[in-house]
Amino acid sequence: MLSITGLSVAYGGLHALERVSLEVRAGEFVTIVGPNGAGKTTLLKAISGAVPAAAGRIEYGGRDLGRLAAAARARLGIAHVPEGRKVFPSLTVLENLEMGSYRAEARRRRAEGLDMVYALFPPLRERRGELAGTLSGGQQQMLALGRGLMARPDLLLLDEPSQGLAPRLIEAIFEAIARIREARGLTILLVEQRVVEAVELCDRAYVLETGRIVLEGGRETLLADPRVQRAYLGA
Amino acid sequence: MAGGPRGRAAGLLPIALVLGAGLLLTFTLQERYHHRILTLVLVWATMGLSWNIISGYAGQTSFGHQAFFGIGAYVTVLLILHAGLTPWIGMLVSAAVAVVAAALIGFPTFRLSGIYFALATLAYPLILRIAMDFLGYQEVAIPMAREQPALYMQFRDPRANDLLCLGVFGATLLLSRAIERARLGYWLRALRENEAAAEAMGVDTFRCKMAAYMLSAAPAAIAGAVYAHVVLYVVTPDSVFGTLAIVQTLVVCLVGGIGSLWGPVIGAALMLPVSEMLDTWVGDRFPGIQGVMYGAALVAIILVAPEGLYWRLRGLRRGARPAAPPVAVVAGPGPAPAVSRAPDGGGEPLLEARGVSKAFIGLQALDDVSFAVRAGEILGIIGPNGAGKTTLFNVLNGFLPPDRGEVRYRGERISELRPSAVCRRGIGRTFQVVRSFPRLTVLENAMVGGFVRDAEPAAAGARALAALERTGLAARAGALPGSLTTLELRLMELARCLATDPRLVLLDEPLAGLSAEGVEAMIAHIRRLPAAGVTVVIIEHTMHALVRLADRLLVLDHGRRVADGLPAEVTQRPEVIEAYLGTRWLRRAEHHRP
Amino acid sequence: MGGIYAVMSIGLALIFGVMRVVNFAQGDFMMLGMYLTYYLAVAYRLDPLLGALVVVPPFFVLGVLVHRALLVRVTGGGDPQRQMDAQLILTLGLSLIITNATTMVLSPMPRQIRTGYATEAFGLGPLLVNQARAYAFVMAVLLAVVVFVFLTRTDLGKALRAAADEPEAAGYQGIDVRAMHGLAFGIGVALVAAAGGLLATYHPIEPTVGVNFIVLMFVAVVLGGLGSIPGAFVGGLVIGLVQAVTLLVLPLQLQNAGVFIAFLAVLYLRPQGLFGRRLRTV
Repeated sequence: MLSITGLSVAYGGLHALERVSLEVRAGEFVTIVGPNGAGKTTLLKAISGAVPAAAGRIEYGGRDLGRLAAAARARLGIAHVPEGRKVFPSLTVLENLEMGSYRAEARRRRAEGLDMVYALFPPLRERRGELAGTLSGGQQQMLALGRGLMARPDLLLLDEPSQGLAPRLIEAIFEAIARIREARGLTILLVEQRVVEAVELCDRAYVLETGRIVLEGGRETLLADPRVQRAYLGA
Repeated sequence: MAGGPRGRAAGLLPIALVLGAGLLLTFTLQERYHHRILTLVLVWATMGLSWNIISGYAGQTSFGHQAFFGIGAYVTVLLILHAGLTPWIGMLVSAAVAVVAAALIGFPTFRLSGIYFALATLAYPLILRIAMDFLGYQEVAIPMAREQPALYMQFRDPRANDLLCLGVFGATLLLSRAIERARLGYWLRALRENEAAAEAMGVDTFRCKMAAYMLSAAPAAIAGAVYAHVVLYVVTPDSVFGTLAIVQTLVVCLVGGIGSLWGPVIGAALMLPVSEMLDTWVGDRFPGIQGVMYGAALVAIILVAPEGLYWRLRGLRRGARPAAPPVAVVAGPGPAPAVSRAPDGGGEPLLEARGVSKAFIGLQALDDVSFAVRAGEILGIIGPNGAGKTTLFNVLNGFLPPDRGEVRYRGERISELRPSAVCRRGIGRTFQVVRSFPRLTVLENAMVGGFVRDAEPAAAGARALAALERTGLAARAGALPGSLTTLELRLMELARCLATDPRLVLLDEPLAGLSAEGVEAMIAHIRRLPAAGVTVVIIEHTMHALVRLADRLLVLDHGRRVADGLPAEVTQRPEVIEAYLGTRWLRRAEHHRP
Repeated sequence: MGGIYAVMSIGLALIFGVMRVVNFAQGDFMMLGMYLTYYLAVAYRLDPLLGALVVVPPFFVLGVLVHRALLVRVTGGGDPQRQMDAQLILTLGLSLIITNATTMVLSPMPRQIRTGYATEAFGLGPLLVNQARAYAFVMAVLLAVVVFVFLTRTDLGKALRAAADEPEAAGYQGIDVRAMHGLAFGIGVALVAAAGGLLATYHPIEPTVGVNFIVLMFVAVVLGGLGSIPGAFVGGLVIGLVQAVTLLVLPLQLQNAGVFIAFLAVLYLRPQGLFGRRLRTV
């Protein structure tokens, strides 16, 4: 469904990504783990069109995304739940979710989508009339996830859903992701620094370090691989 | 730029040439009309140079600079009317009044930045304009002084007017040149490029802006006084406080190029003759043609060459980038870098955080964090994303006041100080994302730091060069940051920080984004610091490098201190593994362990 | 008066809120709106209160075109500080061109629309309220309500606010942020032109009339908190009040001095709320 070949991204002289190639098949759950500054967020931004690629090719559903703007990619069914949540703080919770279903395919089934998201994250229903900026970190993360789901995406990009959350909440968020996947059979590309939670959920994973893919493998292979711990703890 | 008789005289030749050309025109132009154009060019070039000091070098866009122009005109003329004072003295008085006004305006207004500053400056000339209307000075004619025309600046010979304007213009050019080459000039450009980085490098940005603003007010006032005498004869609020005054200033600077000595000169030499001629030819039939032209010039310059003609022309002859940057001049041993320094008293901690807490809306970034840094050690602070590491640095170096708790440095409480004051006491820092001054060369970047200890550009340059040598960057001294690699950028930031002669440096993820070789190179540089008398506190996200580098590790998670101790110990602690790799990893690891 | 200020200021606030652009030419679009209303009144005997509505579509188109032709080139990407300067200068240039070109083409002579109600007044208890001003006020409030409903009840309006809040995330939802900028600029220009039309019911029309009002709009928008639509509405009403009160206690010439001083006071007293940038840049 998503196929990336030789992708390089440069920010003002810095090489954030260098010749990254990876693949996500339809229905798969793929995780990219790696320490801070490895280029994980940049990779997702390149897929959703927020940063331009310096070289390489991104194909989605057999189609070259090329220079397509972010909004156009979203309309093709790619939903990006960005790092740091980026909810619309001055819109209400409900309005945030409505904006998730901005694209025409999703707008038609908005009511149905709302029911699904509220079932998944009951606190959002309770606080639907409040401004998103007043929510707690965990609730904002639920909202960001919910907003992504409202788009009825074919491909869901998740960027560090655990960031800045207390351990208890992290577990809850990962549980929700697992449930979403079961219920909807989505294709998911997750970027995380919490290795185990992320890898346990996925079918396959890549390890990204300083802009390059250094390891690739199935769930069990990676969990057993001592190199993963070394990449983080160096010991 | 830096020392030596050659350096001192450099740049004076073009000034002499331009003034010479002015003289030549003064004595060759025949028609009064042409003399008028010459005086206009000179007045608006002066006004442009004056605006350029605050808005060009310091980057604080002001839309109210004509306030000082108007003060110059009104004060001088009113002094003639009410005190019979000659404008020669009157204009100096008016300059003093303008400087005081700049201080009064600047003090509250520089608390604002960017767009708020620009909008606030709009209001001052408007208020002055209303005040003048109200006080009954809607039209103030300069009284004729037939007896002593020279004493009252009323020359029959247009050449005298030219000379007067040329003198004011020349003085302003020299003032601008002096600012450009002094410490203030470097600091202004640094704060324009990156205010936070400048402040962290010991630049008291508020005071620098105030100094620039006050310095820029004086020439504007004198230009206003002269303009009233050689052009206006009758001063009205609209003519000196009005929109056209600031528009002409802006046009002159923008067309010519902001932030350079020659930009406003080029702009004035080009735009004023054109606008005057347009006005004479078709002004009768099309009132407002001048305004349309100025407006079109503004729109065109922004769309076509937003940097202005001067920079565009300089960019065209790229080869002529100062081939021998000041480095060449500073040959010979500079002041010795802080190689050997008596180690600070063993027992007393160098830096101490006591119960520091900091909350942002909905997020407790730091929660009762206490620790001490001992002189001569490398202390590593680690923790996952969002653990509060950078917030901690921002509290330590004064960017953020702690909500609770305090920071002490060598026994002194520093948690209320500005970052620049913290830097001057000997704490340097680098940033997670390198904050360079992009339009300053590598050497000039480091000089900004060097000026903290030496006010003289030559000495600061030597200090900066020594710092660059220590980090192995001396060969790139003349390059612009944009052309550096990630490693070189990080090293430049380190050199800039070392040029402030710190006892303690706070390094915020200095290894981020580096290749494996880059990491090794950076580690080697950091390792050498304690021997040179510099204590190091370093934030890293990834542990493997830090385990080798640090003497001691402090682990933060969710704003709390989770653990501290020797690196080998700390990485084995369950709470650290949990913070980093999650609970499940821990369970798994325990499970697998025999 | 306050009602019209409110509508003007909403236009400016909308543009700033969505695009982060301070539009210096806003006053000139208002002036053009006054002229169009004037000519509609002269040529077709169209009541200026209706004329003010008629000017909305053409000015919306004009705004979208100006955005397409000029402002896209200085928005989105790049160093924010330098970009802000470029935007200010660009719109200032635009303002100069419009003011002076209007002077050139239509002469600086002031004009006035004569309406039956301009000189009539309602008795409201002990107060006499000028009828033109009263009608204009009602229309202004109606316009503001329409804008408010658009922004809070329609998907497009919500998308506009989303693009203002978090442009990056808005893009991920399929919202075309650049198109939203065009929309905001179009609406902003149309609103201020309509406000001009309403103003024309009792205010003389001349090419430089915009300059006097643009500063008042800035004041209102800053008073209400830069970029906030309800804030700008309230700010506009407050300006009208401050003017009226100043008029009671001070001579006519000082009417706007009170407004400017209020402006500076707000800037100084709420620097954290308004600027708070120093903390966030680190």
